[in-house]
Amino acid sequence: MNIDQFGMDTITLAGPLEAKLRAVRDAGFTQIMLQARDIAGHPDGEAAAIEAVRASGLRVTGFQVLRDFEGLSGRLHAYKLDIARAMLAMCHALGSTVLLVCSSTSTHATDDPEAYVRDLRKLAMLAVPFRIRIAYEALSWGRRINEMPQAWDLVLRADRANLGVAIDSYHMLATKTPLDALDEVDPEKILFVQLSDFMWQEVRSPDERINTARHFRVFPGEGAHSADIAELVRRLDAIGYRGDYSFEVFNDDYVQLPLATVAARARQSVRFLVGKVSRRTLPVRANRTAAS
Amino acid sequence: MHLHEHNPEPSNPLGLDGIEFVEFATSQPQALGGLLQRMGFAAIARHRSREVMLYRQGSMNLIVNAHPDPLPGMAAPTAAPQLTAIAFRVRDADFAWRRALDLGAWEMPTRASAMELNIPGIHGVGDSLLYFVDRYRDFSIYDVDFVALPGVDRNPPAVAGLHYFGVVQSILEDRTGDWIDFYTQLFGFSVLPGGKYFGIMPKGTLLESPCHKFYMQLIEPPAGSEDIEWEERLLRLGLGAPDVRAAVTALRERGIVFVDRNPIQPSDKGALTQIYLGAVTFELVVSHLAPESARPPVR
Repeated sequence: MNIDQFGMDTITLAGPLEAKLRAVRDAGFTQIMLQARDIAGHPDGEAAAIEAVRASGLRVTGFQVLRDFEGLSGRLHAYKLDIARAMLAMCHALGSTVLLVCSSTSTHATDDPEAYVRDLRKLAMLAVPFRIRIAYEALSWGRRINEMPQAWDLVLRADRANLGVAIDSYHMLATKTPLDALDEVDPEKILFVQLSDFMWQEVRSPDERINTARHFRVFPGEGAHSADIAELVRRLDAIGYRGDYSFEVFNDDYVQLPLATVAARARQSVRFLVGKVSRRTLPVRANRTAAS
Repeated sequence: MHLHEHNPEPSNPLGLDGIEFVEFATSQPQALGGLLQRMGFAAIARHRSREVMLYRQGSMNLIVNAHPDPLPGMAAPTAAPQLTAIAFRVRDADFAWRRALDLGAWEMPTRASAMELNIPGIHGVGDSLLYFVDRYRDFSIYDVDFVALPGVDRNPPAVAGLHYFGVVQSILEDRTGDWIDFYTQLFGFSVLPGGKYFGIMPKGTLLESPCHKFYMQLIEPPAGSEDIEWEERLLRLGLGAPDVRAAVTALRERGIVFVDRNPIQPSDKGALTQIYLGAVTFELVVSHLAPESARPPVR
């Protein structure tokens, strides 16, 4: 493994987009995970944000996040479809080829898994002309889909070439999903992996998971599950996953520290993981994004 | 709800029935028109409100669009002609369009003016559109939007039995699966078994329309082509001919030049024209389908 397989996520850093891009690049990273807010909230507009990303030279790992998409009907479905279309267009404009979709938490969503399959297929179809892949992630507080194997099962049932899963170490740790579950997953269908840890041993209730996920995540090597995360990355490596890892660290403290300080912690986390997993250098999967 | 009212046969959910027309866009329509005439097409009619011309030979309708004002989100025509649309004949255009949108197709804006037909379309590859047309048996869509050129035969015969055979689409690396999903799920195409090809350009993935009247061919960048500019778009037309050598002879007499060097040479199976106007080639493929040639188009 090497640094080129790892990237940072803009949600971990404070400040304007340009400062985040600069800090991530200066720390030696070559890729960045973007959120829609980076673009929509740019003071000079969407085009300026897109230009800043392109000018940074950083590869876009992916674009996040479409929430509560699947299982809705009627007006709610039509509304979410509009949101999805807009996010796909932004994702494409940024040169990102991956859109992250989190499993629904909506109480308005049906429990019918067939509706979930139908909606994921529809989203995947919308993404085809844009050359975007849909990475479906099980939120640990998702209403029906809240563990990685359930997300993988849905992806298998939907069976679309541009549909896969995103794996997030936080959610797998939160739900104590056995790592053996990874052996069932086709590594080609893992579109990317998000890494973060947290400070306490367990997060029992969905509310506790939400609160921890949004405020108290830390980089791998800094939290209570270092060995588990190292093992997760080892397992992914063993099943043949050669894609990207992104540090998705929501942390209230990190967004009030200098960007270089936080980026340095991310860089330290790469050293921790590479040291724990292996020292071999793998060929990085070909970069297919237009932003490079 | 339309999906339940029509009860279409599962293998051909839209009642697809061949290609109604294909469309090129170019800012130099006369140059393309000259090429088309050498290929056997004749100018038939002019659009009522836009710089758009209808060409025809045998069963093939071909539209040349030089209207400078593009649809929102689309590029204006360039000098080099681009294949920008395919219109599929379907049983019920509105049903086909709604079903496609329901499955995740992108709705395309149309720009029908007053008294003009509104042909429903969806987003295809690149900047291209895919239209649905259901009025092709008892009624000609061209009678509404086009004015016939005076004194021309509106049903010129096809040169050497030429007919639409398929469209070749270039795609980026690792995109075959995505586009197979697109054509199989939205239109009911099926993938032909590996190794089954027509013509002289055996590569990529061949998809057969559910009406068995035409094909889409998906081509990823060939190995060693890293330096070639390769983008996703409708790349070229495939024209079927019952006798390729006869068609080559007839088209050569009309001034068309075919690539004639290994490994691409005119043969009984197929032939490829040289590149015209910086972008346009036609591929001939041996075909006895001639799906519509026996039936003159509706006037």
